[in-house]
Amino acid sequence: MSETVSISLTINGAEHALTLSPERTLLDVLREDVRATGTRRGCDEGSCGACTVLVEGLPVLSCLSLAVTLPGRAITTIEGVRNGPELHPVQQALVRHGAVQCGFCMSGIVLAAKVLLEQNPSPSVDEVRQALGSNVCRCSGYTRVVEAIASVGGRP
Amino acid sequence: MRYAEPESVEAALLALNAHEDARCLAGGASLVAMMNAGRIAPGMLVSLHRIPELFTITEASDGIWLGAMCTHRTVAADTRLGGAMEVVRGAARQLAHPAIRNMATLGGSIGLADPRTELPVALVAASALAEVAGAHGRRAVPVESLFVDSHRTSLQRGEFVTRVFLPRGATGAVGHHLRFSRVAADYPTVSVSLVLDMEGDTCQQVRVVVGSCAPVPLHLDAADQRLIGTRLEAEDVAEAGGLLAQAAAPIDDVRGSAEYRRMLIPRLLGRALSQARERAHV
Amino acid sequence: MSDDVRPEPAPRPVGEVLGQSVPKPDAREKVTGRAVYTEDLCVPGMLHGALLGSPHPHARILSYDTSRARALPGVRAVLTAEDLPAHDIGPAIKDQPVLARGKVRYAGEPVAAVAAVDLPTARRALGLIDIQYEVLPAVFDAEEALRPDAPVLHAPRGPGHPNAASYIRLVEGTPDSVWARCHVVVEDVYETPAQQHIYLEPCSTLAEVDPDSGKITLHTSTQSGFRVQAVTAEALGVPMSRVRVLVPRVGGAFGGKVESTNQPITAALAMAAGAPVRLTFSRTDDMKMMRSRHGARIFMRTGATRDGRILARQVRIHFDTGAYADDGPFVANIGSYFARGPYRIPHVDVQCWCVYTNKLRAGAFRGFGNPQIHFASEVQVDRLAEALGMDPIELRLRNALETGEKWLGGAPVESGTLRACLERARDVSDWARRRERTPTAPGKQRGIGVAAVSHVSGLLGSSATVRLNEDGTVTVNTGAVDTGQGSDVALTQVAAGALGLSMEQLNFSRPDTDTSPYDWCSGGTRTTFTVGRVITQACEQVRVQLFAHASALLQRPVRRLELRPGGFVGVRDEPGTSVSFAAIAGRALYVEGGPIIASARYLYPAWQLDTNRTQVEGLPFMGNGFFVFAAQVAEVEVDELTGHVEVLEAWSVHDVGRVINPAATEGQVQGGFVQGLGYALTEELVWNEGQLVNPTMGDYKVPGVLDVPVALHAVLLEQPFGPGPFGAKGVGEVGLVGVAPAICNAIRHATGAQVRQLPATAERVLRALMERD
Repeated sequence: MSETVSISLTINGAEHALTLSPERTLLDVLREDVRATGTRRGCDEGSCGACTVLVEGLPVLSCLSLAVTLPGRAITTIEGVRNGPELHPVQQALVRHGAVQCGFCMSGIVLAAKVLLEQNPSPSVDEVRQALGSNVCRCSGYTRVVEAIASVGGRP
Repeated sequence: MRYAEPESVEAALLALNAHEDARCLAGGASLVAMMNAGRIAPGMLVSLHRIPELFTITEASDGIWLGAMCTHRTVAADTRLGGAMEVVRGAARQLAHPAIRNMATLGGSIGLADPRTELPVALVAASALAEVAGAHGRRAVPVESLFVDSHRTSLQRGEFVTRVFLPRGATGAVGHHLRFSRVAADYPTVSVSLVLDMEGDTCQQVRVVVGSCAPVPLHLDAADQRLIGTRLEAEDVAEAGGLLAQAAAPIDDVRGSAEYRRMLIPRLLGRALSQARERAHV
Repeated sequence: MSDDVRPEPAPRPVGEVLGQSVPKPDAREKVTGRAVYTEDLCVPGMLHGALLGSPHPHARILSYDTSRARALPGVRAVLTAEDLPAHDIGPAIKDQPVLARGKVRYAGEPVAAVAAVDLPTARRALGLIDIQYEVLPAVFDAEEALRPDAPVLHAPRGPGHPNAASYIRLVEGTPDSVWARCHVVVEDVYETPAQQHIYLEPCSTLAEVDPDSGKITLHTSTQSGFRVQAVTAEALGVPMSRVRVLVPRVGGAFGGKVESTNQPITAALAMAAGAPVRLTFSRTDDMKMMRSRHGARIFMRTGATRDGRILARQVRIHFDTGAYADDGPFVANIGSYFARGPYRIPHVDVQCWCVYTNKLRAGAFRGFGNPQIHFASEVQVDRLAEALGMDPIELRLRNALETGEKWLGGAPVESGTLRACLERARDVSDWARRRERTPTAPGKQRGIGVAAVSHVSGLLGSSATVRLNEDGTVTVNTGAVDTGQGSDVALTQVAAGALGLSMEQLNFSRPDTDTSPYDWCSGGTRTTFTVGRVITQACEQVRVQLFAHASALLQRPVRRLELRPGGFVGVRDEPGTSVSFAAIAGRALYVEGGPIIASARYLYPAWQLDTNRTQVEGLPFMGNGFFVFAAQVAEVEVDELTGHVEVLEAWSVHDVGRVINPAATEGQVQGGFVQGLGYALTEELVWNEGQLVNPTMGDYKVPGVLDVPVALHAVLLEQPFGPGPFGAKGVGEVGLVGVAPAICNAIRHATGAQVRQLPATAERVLRALMERD
């Protein structure tokens, strides 16, 4: 049996006190303990991007992040993207462009796109594609997803 | 499983020695994936993420020291890594995919010694040194000497890499990394890392290392020697590539057969050399 | 278009909603993470399930010892076949046990199941189950499995080789006698891989059992609540009405969730444990335990006259269905039925075997037998064009079936729009210019290729009820599952167009087998077509009732009434005279005492093969539906150094009859294209001695955003015809079907390299490059 560690995680600005085995991934803890289920589980090995969250503002894979290593670091999940009733511009664009199909990849894609636009408010199509390099979408063929995100920065 | 997050290298060494089955945790990108798949179950994890010195980057006159906990993203973004050192920056910029590059570290890549990955290949091409901390203090060794077999390093139990030195190399030398993979977000089927120093049209110095074609990064003095002093004509490249292909010990896997990998080595070597030469002229 | 079968005019929609890219109702919850998939559900007392897979591809089970697993604290149920009803299930052949019984037939086949308080405990318990096996000889190749001495997987069901799950032969004309009349004959053997769905959401089920009534409620990721209900009831030997199925959001399916996944075993665990159980596969378990597309080996020979008339074709297909038939015999039906292609070829001989091997079962996957046969056929047609010195599009146009002509087996082509698709593809892709090989970077070659595509839309039954609510809004209830393709929005738009309502005036019910009318499945390119049709039919009945009430309220005869946008019945030529749906609803409820409600059903009629025309063995009728057509063009760049192929730009031209939601339709086409691109270039399950070697997303690579062309043009033609809503035709699967041959034809055009085996990995292309001279 594993020893457990008591920690506090800062998730979307709120503190969560948790007692965890060290092998628990952030993905597991978000979904099972915090019940923030918008972070999706697709592969458990960092190959699909469905579990993407932001740590200190950078996209990382929560399935490969051990929760015990993250106290004191700002964790943003899809639940933390929306600010009040308004959707984030990336979310609005994805809805408006009809880019959403099964939606399982969307949490990760929204977060990756949000970071891109914070760093580069007017990305080219190629820059959007590079930024989504971790996120598998099996439904859309990516065309409308890329168009939607590029449109936020004013590029066609 | 037990867990520790020491705040100094010395404390980390103590923690590693406290448990027979302790492993260092760096970025987690590979280690946690292996834990998730049930392939490993360490008795203890020693996370290195609270040791400030492992994140530092120090510029010296003859090169740059990169802390072992520097992520590939950090390496890829560091514009000081020009010239010969560019080979490492190029590999860090291209490997895997963005979220992995935000997590995975230099030290983790060395410690894992996964023959599928390309960062070790680039480090060997760059003639990098690794500073290793252990019970008897610290020592600097060529990174090349650390890789002994697939997923095996010459690090002793309780040792770990604290930082990596990238020598600046000869003035005018260029580093270049070329990867070939099935899809963008995959391990390379074959990668070629090299540092090239041309004098006019003649190759003064070159160091070629091939990845994903042997249990360790494949570096062959004879291949380098075959190129040095030549004008890198097709025949020179083909022969040097042939030597490397002969020395390679690739495996058959889903990324390609051993035979295909052997075929690719001279082909990609030629492309990598010409790309490097173009870069040298820019 | 021939004159005798000119399409009847399709009904016109009322209002502006039909044909607009209305955002999907679930899009907001999906981009905010609020959408609830099965794995997100959590109920009090819920246990976690996990399955143990067989280590051997073929072995007799000698004994079980589950005592150590049962003794592990936290374990609430351990099941093996000994705890389950001793009969098999399966959509075509009853050959599949819920857990392996007597023997295992593929590595990874579920042999035992555990429910425990948490997942780590359940997984630990799996490791404590001891099963003794006697390893049996195994067979991994479909043709080898048909040899007389091959290991046999299942008890023989009749004459013929016991490993042949099905055999079909279709002969038209006298192919043997016409080869000599062909000026050009080409033949080859083509191989296609076991592609896997890789829906991003692994299969998942939450099963609850009411302790008083015994009723089982399943929340599950599926393409069909009704299939799950039927299969679970059959597997567990309980009455169908004792199983209720609800479908949360589904994270992709593509055919992989047509038949049962892990619903029966999860229900069995919940019954055994007396508590709710949620079972979600890990990616690797999903890949090893579920299903794939059928790998196929296809011999094909085609002959034509000098002027480009295709005279004869001979085809022998071996579909590898793995250890269980699943939908394999149906896939083989489609593969055979499309073996002549969308061409008028008078002399045809098709043989098709669907064969058991000791590998993962193969089943439904977008295209359903058609990607395999299209690859062979469309690559071969290009070879023929080359041999004839003809343009590939010209040769296809010369032989394309037109409206009124007969399909293989005699069914009529009701709306033969392949010609229109090919001509449009030729225009939009600037075909003639790009066929002139354009110079490119050193070591790279560019080329362009085409494939003609045919498919069917329809298949089995659907029903809908449409009810007028008291406030004048309308509730549409179907059993259709939206797996992400957008059927909820498209079907709502169909109802909106039928009754002239806004999206806000429509309430579209989610599937629930307790309350929804029957729908067979969201698959088979059928949901918009078939469910859309029943919605328009039910709406038409509602309209008749609306008009009867309105006639009384407005004192005008029914024949002068019309629907007006926004939920009104008005009087023609009297702009000021109308009555709202709400007023009519009030009259219906409070004057007549009942709501306006209607239901409709539809099943595309099965086609009895014409035995005067065709010699038929093993395929008496086809129940598939309406023929639909497309043309796909890809421009590629081949790296001659490595063999790597990059698709630079692509055009996918589809006759969709009528566009209901352009964004959703284009999304289907583009998504299908990229799955086809994966099938063409990278995706392939690989086995070594029956062990799957790449059951992870790291080793089995689907295309990422950097692997697809920036410009992927979905071009939609509208030639409304047939029973679909407002003349709409299905499109869901079609976008995948012709991609691989279009890409391989482009590789050939670029370099002269002929790829006969998919995926066209860089290694295979490089070998083909080296063989070309």
